[in-house]
Amino acid sequence: MVSQGLRVVHYLNQFFGGLGGEEKAHIGPQLREGFVGPGKVLHDAVKGRGEVVATIICGDNYFAERTEEAVQQILQMVTPCRPDILIAGPAFNAGRYGIACGELCKAVQDRLGIPAATGMYEENPGVDLYRREVYIVKTAESVRGMPDIISQMVALVLKLVDKKKIGRPAEEGYFPRGIARDESSDMNAAERAIAMVLAKIKGAPFESEIESPKFDKVKPAPPVKDMASATIALATDGGLVRRGNPEKLDPRGATWLRSYNVKGLKALNPEDFACHHSGFDTVFVSQDPNRLVPVDVMRDLENEGVIGKLHDKVCATAGVAASLSNAKKVGESLAEQLKAEGVDGVILTST
Amino acid sequence: MKLELNVLNIKDVQFSEKTDIINGVLYINRREIQELLQQDKRLSKVEIELAHPGESCRILQVSDVIEPRARIGANDTDFPGVLSKHITVGAGNTCALRGVAIVINDQNAVSGPSHDPKGNIIDMSGPGAELSPYAKTHNVVVLPYAADGVSPNDYKVAIKLAGLKAAVYLAKAGKDLKPDEVEVYDLPSLPKVSNSMEHLPKVAYIFQAYCTSFPAIQGEPILYGDSLRRLVPTLVHPNEILDGALVNPYQGMGMETYAIQNHPLIKALYQKHGKELCFVGVVITVSQYTEPERERSAAIAANLAKSILGADGVILTKSSSGAPDVDVAQTAQMCEELGVRAVLIMWGMSQDGGADSSVVFSFPKVDAMVSTGSPLRQVSLPAMKRLIGRPVTLPNGAPASSEFNLRLLWISGAVGQLGNSKLVSVQY
Amino acid sequence: MTPVAIMVGSNRIVPGSGVIHPVGNVDLGSNEEKNLRRTIVQKAIEALHTELKEQTVFPRPSV
Repeated sequence: MVSQGLRVVHYLNQFFGGLGGEEKAHIGPQLREGFVGPGKVLHDAVKGRGEVVATIICGDNYFAERTEEAVQQILQMVTPCRPDILIAGPAFNAGRYGIACGELCKAVQDRLGIPAATGMYEENPGVDLYRREVYIVKTAESVRGMPDIISQMVALVLKLVDKKKIGRPAEEGYFPRGIARDESSDMNAAERAIAMVLAKIKGAPFESEIESPKFDKVKPAPPVKDMASATIALATDGGLVRRGNPEKLDPRGATWLRSYNVKGLKALNPEDFACHHSGFDTVFVSQDPNRLVPVDVMRDLENEGVIGKLHDKVCATAGVAASLSNAKKVGESLAEQLKAEGVDGVILTST
Repeated sequence: MKLELNVLNIKDVQFSEKTDIINGVLYINRREIQELLQQDKRLSKVEIELAHPGESCRILQVSDVIEPRARIGANDTDFPGVLSKHITVGAGNTCALRGVAIVINDQNAVSGPSHDPKGNIIDMSGPGAELSPYAKTHNVVVLPYAADGVSPNDYKVAIKLAGLKAAVYLAKAGKDLKPDEVEVYDLPSLPKVSNSMEHLPKVAYIFQAYCTSFPAIQGEPILYGDSLRRLVPTLVHPNEILDGALVNPYQGMGMETYAIQNHPLIKALYQKHGKELCFVGVVITVSQYTEPERERSAAIAANLAKSILGADGVILTKSSSGAPDVDVAQTAQMCEELGVRAVLIMWGMSQDGGADSSVVFSFPKVDAMVSTGSPLRQVSLPAMKRLIGRPVTLPNGAPASSEFNLRLLWISGAVGQLGNSKLVSVQY
Repeated sequence: MTPVAIMVGSNRIVPGSGVIHPVGNVDLGSNEEKNLRRTIVQKAIEALHTELKEQTVFPRPSV
């Protein structure tokens, strides 16, 4: 039975809420009964299934400067309204507004257990931050097409309420959430590949089934100035372990980091160290681990005064089929750890 | 070259006193085939078991799957360079027993980083069977055991040969019979191939047949018996691939000799030849593990496609995973840079259903990929009554015939890299 | 896997000697192999010491 009488709460920033522009961005959350401004479009879109029972208006700066506090205040205001659905924005290309919409949708999903949706332009920073957890409908950069955007958002949340399957991003108009699911096709991969190459040759549009990842650009760190007194650490994603793998390093996935003490060692001894990595033939590195982590050469360079000191610890993980997020986490924690230990530079060896 | 596969549709396989095919049933003299395979002194004994579609049966440690084939009117020319003298295959008539497969069991096989002793599996019924094309064939399982003192390397070579010999032995029973259907594969050489098809786009296939980042198996027969550790990209006729010139490497993940003999992409290109495209040829490569080698191999392959085959577009497939992915992507990038449009058949390697980092490369012009389903996705397999293979136990102590979860990758044929998969990895 | 390093945005990249032995080479004798390793590591040290504005690959002199 299709539920009716759904109670919808709408979130707007100070501008769409009619309070003013940038000069009102510091205003804290306010509750209004029913719909406000563009909320009328939302109210019309849910007719027959429910109504907009309340609108929260909040200044973008207020939210940005004290996010968790703002979220809690808003949740406290919203809970007595007994909402079944939250719609936030759409925020188009407004960055602080987009982040507020994303954060709020995530909060009501997680903490109130109700479906939510918002809308943003693809360059809004809120998209990358929240698209994996929140349904974000694609909008244009400028404020237009409100009725279509609202109806797409409403269609999504109603499907969530009705526990119906949500269609593909292109069909329903939302940003891909980074989930891959296996489905059956009438055509096998060979036939689909032929269709795709013929489209490409013709210059016709095609949709790749897999996307290459997009990586961020990182500003290069300043160079190590005085190498002769610097501490340089060695690290690897090639699965270096101590013999027998007592620290139980996972041979794939870059799930975590392990550290091994190399203080005083002239080189890595194959009796003490080995290679545990599922992505390549580890035989040569196991014969001579210095082929992966060059402790021997670094020790020579230390003795010759080329570098100040080889750091006492070697850090390792095994990077097979690692998810981007795991790899990021491991990289960040490695950087923090080494910085805290007074390391000036790292040489990371990779297979 | 013109190849005609004389196909006999086999609807059952049984042991009997004489190896023969009568009314679509393949009868096998078990002792005779065992004695044939046991002639190899590297093996102490070879067992033969039968597994039928629909049976509650699980086959473990599957090393390769092969379709029974025997060339007609040309004695001792099957699998040249491996079982027979070096001759060119791909022309003439070859008998194929359709609906039967030789499944080689490797007593030492393990799979994955945890060295799972179950190896690759085939379930003949249940959800696992729906995922594998080899659950639909009557399987003749060959279980060879190593003789004393035989190295693991030599055992791997011996079992491959045992499987190939079994495949030829069985198909010979059908050589003189009238085929149920004849599949014709006829592709002339380059100067003639596009006759009356000048208006059609020219499509080539770049086939990465082997991955060199894994341990070499000495004497492993792959291309006309050669072990392919070093191969400069070269041209082969697609019929050679269909007719026994190429045998699946030991580490060929996502491929079996059966899939090579019935190559889904080559078959599909043939089907559309003259209608939607002109199939201009096949480039064969191996993936390299150093940077300069990879760039050289990619450049040579791309230029073969562009300047020799004259391709407007190419489709690329790979063997195994990891460095081969980068290799095949680099080749695709170089094709695109030469103006040849490229499409990859690729595995999305996300472990947790996340689509964000399913491939390890990001070449600007490599923007067209077809998926096969997610190899790392876990599926639940129920218990099976019968087990064929080395009876290992699961980590929880239960026998391997019990229920367990398994990655798709380890179900033979489930996420084939040569294009047979009807699974699509869809982005949500 | 230098292309991967470039794609993910590493700023200081020194090509190694192969997937299965990034700073080694089993085709060389042990002294020559150690010299090769030293050449690659020295290039890495040089990279750490170099001021950069953007991603740079530091090719090592051919051995």
